[in-house]
Amino acid sequence: MNRFISVLEKNIMPVAGRIAEQRHLQAIRDGIILSMPLLIIGSLFLILGYLPIPGYNEFMANWFGDHWLEKLLYPVGATFDIMALVVSFGVAYRLAEKYKVDALSAGAISLAAFLLATPYKVPFVSDGAKEAIMVSGGIPVQWVGSKGLFVAMILAIVSTEIYRKIIQKNIVIKLPDGVPPAVSRSFVALIPGFAVLCVIWIARLILEVTPFESFHNIVTLLLNKPLSALGGSLFGAIVAVLLVQLLWSTGLHGAAIVGGVMGPIWLSLMDENRMVFQQNPHAELPNVITQQFFDLWIYIGGSGATLALAIAMLLRARSQQLKSLGRLAIAPGIFNINEPITFGMPIVMNPLLIIPFILVPIVLTIVSYVAMAAGLVAKPSGVAVPWTTPIIISGYLATGGKISGSILQIINFFIALAIYYPFFAMWDRQKAAEERGTADIPTDSNTAKQM
Amino acid sequence: MNILLICAAGMSTSLLVTKMQQAAKEKGLDAIIWAVSADEAKDHLDRADVVLLGPQIRYKLSHFKKEGEARGIPVDVINPADYGRVNGAGVLDFALRLKR
Repeated sequence: MNRFISVLEKNIMPVAGRIAEQRHLQAIRDGIILSMPLLIIGSLFLILGYLPIPGYNEFMANWFGDHWLEKLLYPVGATFDIMALVVSFGVAYRLAEKYKVDALSAGAISLAAFLLATPYKVPFVSDGAKEAIMVSGGIPVQWVGSKGLFVAMILAIVSTEIYRKIIQKNIVIKLPDGVPPAVSRSFVALIPGFAVLCVIWIARLILEVTPFESFHNIVTLLLNKPLSALGGSLFGAIVAVLLVQLLWSTGLHGAAIVGGVMGPIWLSLMDENRMVFQQNPHAELPNVITQQFFDLWIYIGGSGATLALAIAMLLRARSQQLKSLGRLAIAPGIFNINEPITFGMPIVMNPLLIIPFILVPIVLTIVSYVAMAAGLVAKPSGVAVPWTTPIIISGYLATGGKISGSILQIINFFIALAIYYPFFAMWDRQKAAEERGTADIPTDSNTAKQM
Repeated sequence: MNILLICAAGMSTSLLVTKMQQAAKEKGLDAIIWAVSADEAKDHLDRADVVLLGPQIRYKLSHFKKEGEARGIPVDVINPADYGRVNGAGVLDFALRLKR
């Protein structure tokens, strides 16, 4: 077991570090973070639109007119539906920052590049017609939302790379010394911006004569679909959870590292559900796996589902150490923060506790996936609930007000408790014996203590 | 004395901040201690005298060491056991030792 840990430390950590530090992945993650507050605000309106209270619709219609829902959801259209625009700007901005070139210009150019790649054609169904025709003159909402996410990310990176290479080669318009710096700065972006837009423009012209017709179609086919299929499957979810737990076992923030890569996929899966939910809150939603699936049903109490462990310590610990740790860990645990447990118990580098720490989330993933896929429990509706929301509340809100979401969280909590308990009891006995000065149980816990 | 703590989201380190502030008060030490996420950190580095990373983001140490060297401020990772037990006094001592 100790060998296993040192293998983890030696092989996984450098790789994880490299992935987490990779510039483009970092920019993507930071850029997506920019859209999160907007999505949470939009979710608030989404929840208000579909409160599952009998007579709610009638009540709202009486007070605010027949079109109340449509009006209430205006902010959803300005948050969820422009996700790709925000990400396009955000990714470019963050990447430019890392290259130490003007981030604001890079963001603006990236936005222009994204829209240049997007045909201004929207489907229109005229009265009496059955099929939609494409009319020009509108920026299509479908591509500036989550469906355009991958194109936005790719073009943000492409355009910022071109932009910074030209700036770093110093191919810019230089004005004489007397010109105020603010004025000359505004000219700096001119040549690189022109180059970026020309590249995207020519690429679009070429794509238009191919069967793909546009950037969006080709990226959907080659990236969105395969990645969503992989990331949205039970197998993909188990692999992701396993990686998160392995990383945390060595004391690294697994969720931040794995989420940095999987975030865009889980986000677009989430938004697919949101779009269906918004049309009809009782419809069958397409995806089980979304960001919320992990945050709210698997990581109850933090990565590793350690709320159960905090409660066990609080109520059943006999050793002073774990008793006081339980008191310390319970409040953050309710809000899904568990560093006191992972580093304080510790679970990190502790062969005994790593076993349930990896096992529990995998079991919960399988149980939750099966329960949702079989229709026993409502799927996450696309309402973006922050990961710090306590369980029961979060399960109810994230399913769009379905009590089955909360019930599954309670069941998952008890599953976690059942698996953790014997390991907790063993560790507690050992700690209690140490405190009595009779550390008579031979284990390899010394390495963990030395940490 | 300005002590900046950095972790993934700035949440678990904020637990530690409260305990460190208590410890500083008991010592009669005039210290400003605050926690931010790794993403926001660069806007805060200039105001810090010493920077401590949560152990869960120790893979970012080399990155922040470089930033710290450029500004002449010490950067290190908090001991995991102190971090987990939210040992404010211990981490404060660690910060003071680093600064010296």
